Amino acid sequence: MLLEVKNLKIYFYTKRGVIRAVDDASLNLDKGEIVGLAGESGSGKSTIGYGIMRLVPFPGRITGGQILFKGEDILKLDENTFRKNYRWKKIAMVFQGSMSGFTPVFKIKDQIIEVLKIHEWNGDYEERVKELFKMVNMDPILADKYPHELSGGQKQRAFIAMALALNPEVLIADEPTTALDVIVQENILNLLKELRKDLGISIIFITHDLALLSEVSDRDYILYAGKVMESGPSEIIFKKPRHPYTQALIDSIATLDKDMVKGIPGSMPDLSNPPTGCRFNTRCPLAKDICFKEEPKMRIYSDGDEVACWLYD
Amino acid sequence: MVMKLPAGSTTDYIVKVDKLSVHFTKGGVFSKKILIKALDNVSLSIKNKEILGVVGESGSGKTTLGRATIGLQKPTYGNVYLKVDGKEINVGKSSLKNVNKYVQMIYQDPYSSIDPLMRVYDVLAMPLKYRKEKDVDARIEDAMRLVDLPLELLENKVFQLSGGQRQRLGIARAVVVNPRYVVADEPTTMLDASLKGEILKIIKDAREAKNISFMLITHELPIAKIISDRIAVLYLGKLVELGKSDEIIKNPLHPYSQALIDAYPKINPELKDKIKEMKVKPDVIRPEKGCVFAPRCPFAMQKCIEKEPELKEVSPNHYVACWLY
Repeated sequence: MLLEVKNLKIYFYTKRGVIRAVDDASLNLDKGEIVGLAGESGSGKSTIGYGIMRLVPFPGRITGGQILFKGEDILKLDENTFRKNYRWKKIAMVFQGSMSGFTPVFKIKDQIIEVLKIHEWNGDYEERVKELFKMVNMDPILADKYPHELSGGQKQRAFIAMALALNPEVLIADEPTTALDVIVQENILNLLKELRKDLGISIIFITHDLALLSEVSDRDYILYAGKVMESGPSEIIFKKPRHPYTQALIDSIATLDKDMVKGIPGSMPDLSNPPTGCRFNTRCPLAKDICFKEEPKMRIYSDGDEVACWLYD
Repeated sequence: MVMKLPAGSTTDYIVKVDKLSVHFTKGGVFSKKILIKALDNVSLSIKNKEILGVVGESGSGKTTLGRATIGLQKPTYGNVYLKVDGKEINVGKSSLKNVNKYVQMIYQDPYSSIDPLMRVYDVLAMPLKYRKEKDVDARIEDAMRLVDLPLELLENKVFQLSGGQRQRLGIARAVVVNPRYVVADEPTTMLDASLKGEILKIIKDAREAKNISFMLITHELPIAKIISDRIAVLYLGKLVELGKSDEIIKNPLHPYSQALIDAYPKINPELKDKIKEMKVKPDVIRPEKGCVFAPRCPFAMQKCIEKEPELKEVSPNHYVACWLY
């Protein structure tokens, strides 16, 4: 296993209380795999991404669990070692809205070269930038431009090029297409699939758009209120989901073949005071007594699906 | 040249957009001044009690069109008419006060479009008091019920509401004054999938209960398909296709509409290892002349580069601006 996240807890210590944004979440990523992290806003999907990069913003803290990269717990390393050997070198991230992450006053090329310099890249910087631009299907001439001279889709591809600068083994893509038009979105999706095929890179794809995710991921983790509700191969998650939340979420996706969409009544619980039992119990149409008393454990099925729900006990 | 107005030949319209162009100039200080045609010669109409979906990508002019129909954007050329109670108002030429009596807007971001420090009651009472309306309390309660918000929330401050509740309040604020026409600009975009369905239902309910016509602006095609009677597709300021919602989705005629529908994600895990064939180039290029879509179009002919196609009715009530037809 390339990356294993075990029982990760990320809490935010605010004046209102402790917000349990990620609470005992576990996930795995194999070499060459594209794994989806999906859920609504506040589900903790981006926070897990930041956790793996060890970039959880203040007042958040990783308060428990392990993150194993090829067996080594990267949470135990000191910041300097992690920064030098792991962040961006082994694990890189394309942030949400990262197309606006370039400084407007420097050329794209110089911003990528800065990354190469800081991480002491061995080789010709200019050549590397050219190589990276070809990897993301862009004309290397565009590297000489300033960010505002590129379109949204081009900037996003350039940022992906920057993320690939040091040949990372894991790429975390947090909503990489959210602000882009659908035709450009399709183009970025194709690019990620090509990168996986050509470079064997492993990708964690974080998104709220389940239809989009279904077109790219091998396996998925469905998160709700900081917990993994269900995980499994995409064929199961999207075609035969077991958890009532996964089912409701898939029913609520608006696609062109639907004449109406069902919503999920209610809203996500306050994570500073989550409900006892299953965290979905306040919105679940099938909740029974035990769901309000005790938290369900993960059940593993032979088809690879894992579900935390009392319905299947 | 006289062009037949798409579905505007009937007298049963509330909004009529006639050869509307809105042009902006960009640059000037550090760069060359360029003229941006945000909208170029657009004609369409919205019938009474109709929901017209306006779809397009960023830069298509859909928000500019919405704003122009309620007088927030002055036309550079052309006119916008509002027809209420038998009289016709030229929106671009009348005072905002005169137009505001009949129109309202619902915004994309429920966090920035409503003052978080106001009481929910005051958000709804203010527009009514401003118009010196009677039965304020009864109408507020009525609006709250319409958008499915519990009356207990009236005393709460706006910041205490969730995102979904705030968007309901945004709709309540728009409909509480009994407008005849409402522009909803991406009303579901900021909301989670689980909340979108509810918001669409509320908009439909409001149409029935209060006889309101809507322009629903969205980049999410399925949302437009689910809620609207007809869909207008905009591309770089041009109306490229207009027709019944089902028609547009099932039988799109314009190559741009086809590409949009084709690229829209579907729930389909079988696609995960496949690279989808892209018939249309991803980057937008604005041509000097000819059809605006020609530089990206897989079917472009010599004619398309030279001359701009006009909107034509190719089957009953289905209009397209393309030389293929």
